[in-house]
Amino acid sequence: MLKNILIIFFVSAAVAVAQVKVVTTTTVIYDLVKNVGGDKVEVDYLSRGDQDVHFLEILPSYMLKLRKADLFFKVGLQLEMWAPQLIDGSRNSSLKIIDLSENIAPKEIPTRKVDASLGDVHPFGNPHYWLDPENAKSMLQRIYEELSSYSPENEPHFKENLQSYFAKLDKKIIEWEEKMSNLKQKEIVFFHSAWIYFTDRFGVTIAGYVEPKPGIPPTPSHNASIIKLIQKNKINLIVMDVFYSDSAPNQIASVTGAKVLRIPTQVYGLEKNSSYIDLIDYIVNQISSNG
Amino acid sequence: MRTVLSLAFLLILNSITIAQTTVNPDISAVGEFNMFTSFAEGSPEYGKLNFDIPNAEIYVEGYLNPYARATFNIAFHEGEFHGEEIFAEIVRGLPLDIQIKAGKYLLGFGKINTIHPHAWAFVYRPLFQQIYFGDEGFNDIGFDLSFILPTGDIYTTLDLGIFKGDALTMSHKHEHSEEHMDDEENHYEVNRGNSPIFIGRLSSFFSLGDFSNLEVGLSSSYGIYNKLDFYSSTDSIAVPDNKALNYFYGGIDFKFKYRPDSYTAFVLQTEALWNRRNVLRKNELDLDFEKNINTFGAFVYFDYRFNRIFSIGAKYDFTYGIIEDEPKFNTLSNDDQNKTSGIEGWFGYYPIEETLAFRLGVQHLMFSYADATERDDETKINLQLIFSLGPHKAHPF
Repeated sequence: MLKNILIIFFVSAAVAVAQVKVVTTTTVIYDLVKNVGGDKVEVDYLSRGDQDVHFLEILPSYMLKLRKADLFFKVGLQLEMWAPQLIDGSRNSSLKIIDLSENIAPKEIPTRKVDASLGDVHPFGNPHYWLDPENAKSMLQRIYEELSSYSPENEPHFKENLQSYFAKLDKKIIEWEEKMSNLKQKEIVFFHSAWIYFTDRFGVTIAGYVEPKPGIPPTPSHNASIIKLIQKNKINLIVMDVFYSDSAPNQIASVTGAKVLRIPTQVYGLEKNSSYIDLIDYIVNQISSNG
Repeated sequence: MRTVLSLAFLLILNSITIAQTTVNPDISAVGEFNMFTSFAEGSPEYGKLNFDIPNAEIYVEGYLNPYARATFNIAFHEGEFHGEEIFAEIVRGLPLDIQIKAGKYLLGFGKINTIHPHAWAFVYRPLFQQIYFGDEGFNDIGFDLSFILPTGDIYTTLDLGIFKGDALTMSHKHEHSEEHMDDEENHYEVNRGNSPIFIGRLSSFFSLGDFSNLEVGLSSSYGIYNKLDFYSSTDSIAVPDNKALNYFYGGIDFKFKYRPDSYTAFVLQTEALWNRRNVLRKNELDLDFEKNINTFGAFVYFDYRFNRIFSIGAKYDFTYGIIEDEPKFNTLSNDDQNKTSGIEGWFGYYPIEETLAFRLGVQHLMFSYADATERDDETKINLQLIFSLGPHKAHPF
């Protein structure tokens, strides 16, 4: 009996030791890693789904998470400008940092010298690429490669998970494209320039932004020009992320009659969005049913 | 041959230029412009709108290699350039995950001292820092080792450092044109010799949930702040003893922050310093005698950020010693008789992130002299514009 207990103890201890410890910057990457890694990874994230990932506060508790991690996955394209401080603070010299943007074709790469007069422009391209589900597949592939390289003994497990998730995602992409098909060329006003990958995938047109320039708060004169645009082009939707103030969009909506949709762009941005598929489901359903 | 050599030289130069461009350090500049008025009767600024020479800080910072970083902070204060902070840090790769920092920098005594004034919520430097650290803060040359302690889910660091001690002699220099004072009451010279000072800090960070965090720190510093001759005999041919006068600073700090979303934040922060030192005083016969004194200073403030772009707050300050006054004893920090207290209120406007900030600060100072000297309270109003250019990093928590 004692022998059996000891065997069970050592086997479970070995399984626990074999787990790859992963920290991700966002909840979307967290969910993708969880789906590929399954029970062979222990994954945690830094930025909550209802937080603006551009401006994460440098907290020592995040350093502690990174201190215990083997792998650190980030979006890249200078979205997480705060990451180097956390990595230094973690003092984890064996931490491997993986930039998932390396497998992505970035959009909106500035063609002129970038400076602060353009707002918060990302010099290497728009970093919100996870909102295109096809890009999520590139992210999954890279996650699979990195997990397999770190834990080769679990490669078959990761591969099986990856293929099963790909199949699920492919089915959902067909469903999402169908739902969005009646919105081709439809003009929508967005709050922040986070949507180019989503709109390009589903054929929606970005008519304008509530922010006068990326990351710059709305101004009365810009609101007036957006009101004119909405009225002229008969636009009926303003889409904004959940962590922004809806004061300016609501003012514009009250004049134009457009509907304001508060939509998360990260997993757990709303309680009901507990996975990447839930998230894109929610976004597609909200836009297609209100568009 | 000459042409070939020139071409080779140009190629090498070109490759160096490309390498430098791709690994350029981060360069940032912070400017600060102050307009103020004072309601201290007799002061030349009384009731007038006064303009300070703008202050500036230029930061050049970046990785030296995969293990180390360096920072150059050249400051332009009161019309003069000086090296505010010049240091290198080994951030990873050392045994026990130790970090080493060496050079000239703001010392980790308390939390506020390591943060540059442009990043403070308030406008006026805490009073006890002015007395015990000087107008530029506790800034010195030396090195420290930082250890991360195995305290589970609480991030705890222990920093131990050794420094030249210039901070102790420079602290009050701005108040007096001469470092060596020789009037009847203050006949002591500030002469520390080559005695280093020691500094330590233990700090723990507690995550109290998704929106609230707390950091608690203990700091200490110890060393010789002065060496001087000690006349304890009326015998005119007696050789004076040479005395080394020690100080000990003990500090405690606490910061709580509640940040439910990116538009709202509430900060409650306090720091206190206990100063214990032996000082020389004169008796009725004009002979020196040694005395241990214990003094202290503290501040507490709250800052409430709302709508992302506005902030409002208040601070209460107390310290032994009289701010911006001639010292009663050897230095301001040897004063265990007189006290200054103050109340500050501020309103901040940050239109676009931290690139531009307007702050209006009002400070009311009250003085208490042991010899019953009467002095009116003083009120100052300061309008501050701070602008930040480039990728200067945010301070942790």
